[in-house]
Amino acid sequence: MTLARSLRSALPDVSAREWDQSNNDVLWPGGTPEVLIRPVSTEEVSQILTWAGKEGVGVLPLGSGRHLGPIGGGRFVALETSLLAGVDEYEPADLTITSGTGTTFSTVDSTLRENGQWAPFDSPGVNERSIGGLVSEASHGPLWAGYGSLRNHVLGATLVTGDGRVLRLGGKVVKNVAGYDLLRPVVGGRGRLGILTSVCLRAFPLPAHERVLVLKGAKLKSLIEPALLAGTAPVLPVSIVVVGQLSALGGNSALILRLHGAESTVNADQSAIEKHLGISLDRLAGEEADGCLTEVRDRGGLEPRCVEVSVLPSRLSEVVAAADEVGVAKAVIDSYAGRLRMGSADMSADAVSALRGVVESLGGALRVARWDCVTRPQDTSCRDAELQLSRRLESIFDPSGVLWPAR
Amino acid sequence: MTQTLTSRVADRLRAIVGDDQVITHPDRLVAYESDGLTAYRVVPRAVVLPETTDQVSEVLRVMHDEGIDVVPRGAGTGLSGGALPTPDGVIVGTARMNRILSINEQNRLARVQTGVVNARLTEATAPYGLYYAPDPASQSTCTLGGNVAENSGGPHCLKYGVTSRYVTGLTVVMADGEVVRLGGAGLEAVHGLDLVGLFVGSEGCFGIATEIEVRLLPKVESIRTLLGIFDTMEAAGHAVTDIIGSGLMPAAVEIVDNATIVAVEASVFSAGYPVDAGAALVVEFDGTEAGLDDDADRAEQCCLSAGATKVIRATSDEERIALWKGRKKAFGAMGRIAPDLLVQDATVPRTRLPEVLARITEIGREYDLKIANVFHAGDGNLHPNILFDRQNQEELERVEKASREIMTLCVSVGGTITGEHGVGVDKRAYMPLVYNDVEMDMLRSVRRVFDPDGRLNPGKVVQ
Repeated sequence: MTLARSLRSALPDVSAREWDQSNNDVLWPGGTPEVLIRPVSTEEVSQILTWAGKEGVGVLPLGSGRHLGPIGGGRFVALETSLLAGVDEYEPADLTITSGTGTTFSTVDSTLRENGQWAPFDSPGVNERSIGGLVSEASHGPLWAGYGSLRNHVLGATLVTGDGRVLRLGGKVVKNVAGYDLLRPVVGGRGRLGILTSVCLRAFPLPAHERVLVLKGAKLKSLIEPALLAGTAPVLPVSIVVVGQLSALGGNSALILRLHGAESTVNADQSAIEKHLGISLDRLAGEEADGCLTEVRDRGGLEPRCVEVSVLPSRLSEVVAAADEVGVAKAVIDSYAGRLRMGSADMSADAVSALRGVVESLGGALRVARWDCVTRPQDTSCRDAELQLSRRLESIFDPSGVLWPAR
Repeated sequence: MTQTLTSRVADRLRAIVGDDQVITHPDRLVAYESDGLTAYRVVPRAVVLPETTDQVSEVLRVMHDEGIDVVPRGAGTGLSGGALPTPDGVIVGTARMNRILSINEQNRLARVQTGVVNARLTEATAPYGLYYAPDPASQSTCTLGGNVAENSGGPHCLKYGVTSRYVTGLTVVMADGEVVRLGGAGLEAVHGLDLVGLFVGSEGCFGIATEIEVRLLPKVESIRTLLGIFDTMEAAGHAVTDIIGSGLMPAAVEIVDNATIVAVEASVFSAGYPVDAGAALVVEFDGTEAGLDDDADRAEQCCLSAGATKVIRATSDEERIALWKGRKKAFGAMGRIAPDLLVQDATVPRTRLPEVLARITEIGREYDLKIANVFHAGDGNLHPNILFDRQNQEELERVEKASREIMTLCVSVGGTITGEHGVGVDKRAYMPLVYNDVEMDMLRSVRRVFDPDGRLNPGKVVQ
C-alpha cells in the first residue's frame, strides 16, 4: 500500500496528496518525500505523527521550505505547516503576539507595525519565512547586538513530539521559571524534538528613530579593525556589520552601524562612536539605507551554497585572512557577535573543509547552512558529551526516531 | 530524621577537599538548614565546600558510589527552598569557588567560578567600562552559580533580560562526577541543541555548574530615576501600561503598595514616601545622557495623566539611591511587622496587573492576612509578601491556602507561578496548575537525561 493510501485510510480527514516533484524548488539533496501533508490543527499534527510512528515512516517538517539541509534515507512524508497560519492572539500593551507556525514573518511583522511595534528578526529572506522555520532554526542576523538572540524572544510554544504528545512550553509572559526551560532546546532544535504548531513571541516598540552610518572601504579586510573598535565603544549600536562589495553602495565594501532611539539619543550616540573611532561616518537615509540594509540582511543566505562561521570577535581577522577561496570578499560579518556568512553558487567543498579546519583551530565553529548537492562538507561537531546528552533528549521527545529523517 | 554521615564517607570527602571543608558538627550544620525561604528547615548530613571543578567532580563521584543525595548550594539566598537539604543528603556548597578566572575586554566576556558573588563581577569589570547586567535584589550576596540555577532576573531585566541571555558557556559536573563543557562563546554556529539554555534554570537538578562564561555590557553613561506617587494601585498600574505602550523602554519599572510603604516608613529604612499613598512607582531610564531627559519627561507625563499626585525626579546619585530605598529595603522593613515573611513570586501579563492586584487584596481580607505587594511592574512579575507567624499553626494554614489562591489566580489570567525565584520545594505543589500530566512526565524525563538516578537536589521542581 502506498503511504498516501495508508494515510488516507487511517486519517481520512487529513489533507494529503502524492508528492509532486514540481514542489521541489528548494534545496533537498538526497531524498524525496512520498506524500505532502497539510494539517490544519495541532490535533491533526499529533494524529499524523502517531500514525507515522506506527508505520515506521519519517516526517519532514516544512515551513517555507527554503532552508533545509540534506535528506537522509528511508521512506518519509513532508508535513507542511502552511495551514497552521494566522495571528491567534495579539495584545499590544503586553508586547506579545501568538501565531500559528505556518504564518509568514511578514504577516506577523505587519500586524505589529500597525501598532507601532516590531520583532527584531533580520535573517536572510526573513519576510517570506514561516515563524515555525525561524524559531526552529533560531535564525537571527546582526540585530543580535542590540536585541539579543531570537531565543530570547520566544516566550512560549505548542510542540507536538515525535510520538504525538502535545506539550505547551513556556507561556505568554517575559519572566517565567516554572519548571525546566524545555523551550530552549526546541528553539534552534531544527525540528529534532517535535513539530511546533504555535509560537508566542515578544514584541518591541518600534524605535523612534533609526540612523544608518557607513564607513566605505575598497577592501573588506581593511574594515575589520574599525568594526572591532566600534564594538568596544561606550555606546553599543544595535548592529555592527562589515559587508563586502555592496551593490547598493556602488560595489564598495562597508562598515555599517545601526543606531536606534530618540533622535537626540541617536545624535549623541553617533558623536560618541565617531569620537571612539577617531573618524566621521556617513549617514544613509531613505531608499538608499533600506536597499543597503536589505542587501546586508540577505547577502549570501539565499544562495545555493552558504556557510556560517562563529568565532570570538578577536579572531575574526584570522578567519577572514583564511577565507578567500570561500568568497570572503562578498561576506557579511557581524563583528560584534563574531559571525560570518558567505554564500555563492560555486563554493568549493574542499575550500569549505579547509576553512573549517582553520576556524576550529581558532576555537570557533563552521556550519553549512545551505548546500545544493549530496557531497556536502561537514559541519563542526558538538563535543561528545554534548552529543550524548542531545541524543538522549531526542530519544525522549521522539522515541521512534520519526522526526526529520535528515539527521 | 537526619542521618549521620559515616566516618568512612567523611574521611573520603576530607581526603578530597581537606579537613576544614567538610562540616559534620551538628552546631555548624544548623547554619545550612534552610535557604532564604525559612519556612522549611532540614539539617543536612554534612556540608562539603570544594574549591575547584576537580574537587567537585571527585566529591560527586564519592556521593554516586555511596548512593548519597547531593543538594547544591550557592550563597543560600534563594527564596523557593531550592537549596533546602534532605535528611539523607549532603550539601555541596560552592561559596569557596569564588575566583574570577578571566575578563576579556575585547570580546566582552568573563569566565568565573560558580561561587563568585554577582555584584563582585560588576565591580571587577568596572575598570574596563563593562558590567554584568542581571541584578537580582540579593546581588550583593548571591552567587552567579545560584543565578544560573534559578535563571535569576532583577529590576533591570525589563530592558536587559534575565541570566540565560548572558550565559554563553558552562563547565558542569554531572551526578556521577563526569565533567562536561556546554556551549561557549565562538561556538554559536555549532548545530546543536541549546543545552546551556536548558541547564540555566534547572535548579541544581541537572548538575553543578562550576565555571560560567558570561557576556558583559558597556557601562551606561547616565541614569534618570523618577518616583511617582499615586492614590491607588490601579492608577499606578495604568501609568505602567501607558509608559510601555508609548514606546519607551525603561531599564526598570517597580511598584510598592501602601502596606509596603507604611512598613518601610516605620523602619530604619524610611525613604520619605508619603504613608497615605496608595502606591509608589519607580521608573528608571539609562543610556546616553542626551536622550534621557526626553524619556523621563514622557514617562512623567504618563504618570501625571494616569493620576499621579506627585512625580519626583532624582538629580544626583544620592537622590537616586533615596528614591530606590523604599523599593530595595521593602523586604527588610517587613521584618519588624511580623516574625515571618513569605515572599511570593508570580508573573501575569502586564495588562492584567490591576485586576490581579485587586483580587490579591481581597484574598488577604478573606484569609485575614496582611499582604504587602512589591513588584517588577514592567514585566508583570508580582511579589505578594504574606506576613505571618510560623509558630501559629492555624495562621500558617491560612497562608498556604491564600498562596494557592494567588497562584491559581495568576495562572488563570495567563500568567505563571514563578517569574524569578524558581520552583524549589515551595512551588512544587503548584506545578500542576501550569502543567498537565503529559508535560509533568516530560519534565521528569528530561531530568533523568542529566541525572538518571535522581541524586541531585531530589524533591525539587518535580517529584
